[in-house]
Amino acid sequence: MSIIQQIVSGLGTPNFFVLMPEIVVTVTALLILVVELFTKNKTLLSTLAISGLGLATVSIFFIQQGDVTLFGLYIVDTFSLWFKFMILITSILIFAVFNPYIESKKTFYGEHYYLMLFAIVGMMIMVSSPNLVTFYIGLELMSISIYILVGLWKKDYKSKEGAFKYLIIGGAGTAIISYAIALIYGKTGSFDFLRIASEIQDKADIGVLGGLLLLIVGLALKASAVPFHFWTPDAYESAPTPITAFMGGVAKLATYAVIVRVLIGAFPFSEEIWAYGWAILAAASMIIGNFVALRQKDVKRMLAYSSIAHTGYIVGALASGNAIGFQALIFYSLVYVFMAIGGFIFLSAFEKNEGWTNHIDDFKGLAKKHPVMALYMLILMFSMLGIPPTAGFMGKFGVFIALISADVWWLAVVLVITSIVSAGYYLKIVANMYMHEPVNDRKFNLTPMEKSVIAFLSILTLLLGIYPAIFWDISNLLTQSLVMVSIAR
Amino acid sequence: MVPYEYYLVLSGLLMVLGFIGIIVRKNIIALLISTELMLNSVNIAFVAFDMKLHDVAGQVFVFFILTIAAAEAAIGLGLIMAIYRMKKDVDVTKIAELKG
Repeated sequence: MSIIQQIVSGLGTPNFFVLMPEIVVTVTALLILVVELFTKNKTLLSTLAISGLGLATVSIFFIQQGDVTLFGLYIVDTFSLWFKFMILITSILIFAVFNPYIESKKTFYGEHYYLMLFAIVGMMIMVSSPNLVTFYIGLELMSISIYILVGLWKKDYKSKEGAFKYLIIGGAGTAIISYAIALIYGKTGSFDFLRIASEIQDKADIGVLGGLLLLIVGLALKASAVPFHFWTPDAYESAPTPITAFMGGVAKLATYAVIVRVLIGAFPFSEEIWAYGWAILAAASMIIGNFVALRQKDVKRMLAYSSIAHTGYIVGALASGNAIGFQALIFYSLVYVFMAIGGFIFLSAFEKNEGWTNHIDDFKGLAKKHPVMALYMLILMFSMLGIPPTAGFMGKFGVFIALISADVWWLAVVLVITSIVSAGYYLKIVANMYMHEPVNDRKFNLTPMEKSVIAFLSILTLLLGIYPAIFWDISNLLTQSLVMVSIAR
Repeated sequence: MVPYEYYLVLSGLLMVLGFIGIIVRKNIIALLISTELMLNSVNIAFVAFDMKLHDVAGQVFVFFILTIAAAEAAIGLGLIMAIYRMKKDVDVTKIAELKG
């Protein structure tokens, strides 16, 4: 009997069926890696990518039974499956509008397609990690792919500078997270969330406390919370705009998911400590993000600061430290991904045209020239601002309720006041579109695909505001699954 | 035998040194070296904890960190090459364009 046979008979074969979405996406990425060598046909490459992602999305519905597989290193439950579904769906939307943009900017690289797929695999690994090793590998697979994606812009210096800043600060974040893992491992002797939780219980000493603190700092850096946000505006501004949508929407969604997963899984008994830490980070993000966004003239950079502010609103829900807070966080992050990629895809659709520089003045009189598109942008901006009946309002309302239920009044007050401040820049875009005459009568070309994707995203944002019960039930289910798993395993 | 706490102190010092390097250095190559220093200090910490716990799981993790550090160095050097070709300089204060 060979050694491999002995190992297999000793441990049993892992259940590969529940890994189907990951396998499909990885195989598609490797296929594109090879096909891209022989052809420069963009339509073929993006069709391959979209069909691979579609197949992976369909394969999620065939997984009836969750499982802990790969010898306890990988968990497939309701939480991870739902987040994988959202990641795949939103990525398909971005791939759908990707080709016209890079064609008009003349910056084609075949690497775009498979690096995005590898980043998606990283996110999928991340959201289904019951173990710090899996979590670390997924996080780094995502981050490293995105460093390259930011820098992939032919003959554009800013893109390289943004990517380098992201690499240095992200690399520091990686080092901080790995040091946190080292401290937690040194204290508990295990990487498994459940073993860590049962080792620590409520007797958190200086080693665990330091590890938890460093872990929060590292995760805050990856989710771009103030004061670790310095890479965000530069990287978001300098990346190709569909990639910005990918970073600002999909990657953020996965990061929020993994934050909840790690904190509930590994540190359920030290909730006062991390709740307090996230409260401070959230308050700083809301205040700095919104006030700095006020003086931005470039809309892409403005949306980058708005994404910092939204990180504040979303992780602010963790300050409550109870199930209502987790539910609010999951709900807000699920609806935020639609608003964020909607806003960035809007910019990418217009940026293809001559005479559009993303400057705030370019929006003047857009309602006269493109009434329908202006209406969609209006819905997206109102949703980010949090005006009912849009999904953004329901998200902020959920966080507000969660904070009040845990008696964190000061953060609830900061949330409301900074939301009012944010009206200063979101409404400036709307006012420029509707209350100014057009400077010139130049029309912009948009492909039907871009129009339908933006329409889908803004109408979905509106519908989720009118019927929030759909997503509210989902986030309730996910919270239950998450809390149950950490109790039952 | 040297007690494991000494190695931990060393790794903590290297970590802080790397962090200070990222803040104060102006040369983009030195910035990259600082992040590598931070990552490698973590390896010492893992091995030191394995010494304390009489385990090997931490040393397995070190391999993952080494791989990731190598990938980051490759990307960083590629970006430095691209930046140097465009600007003929490696000083952060002279080449920075993104502000605000």
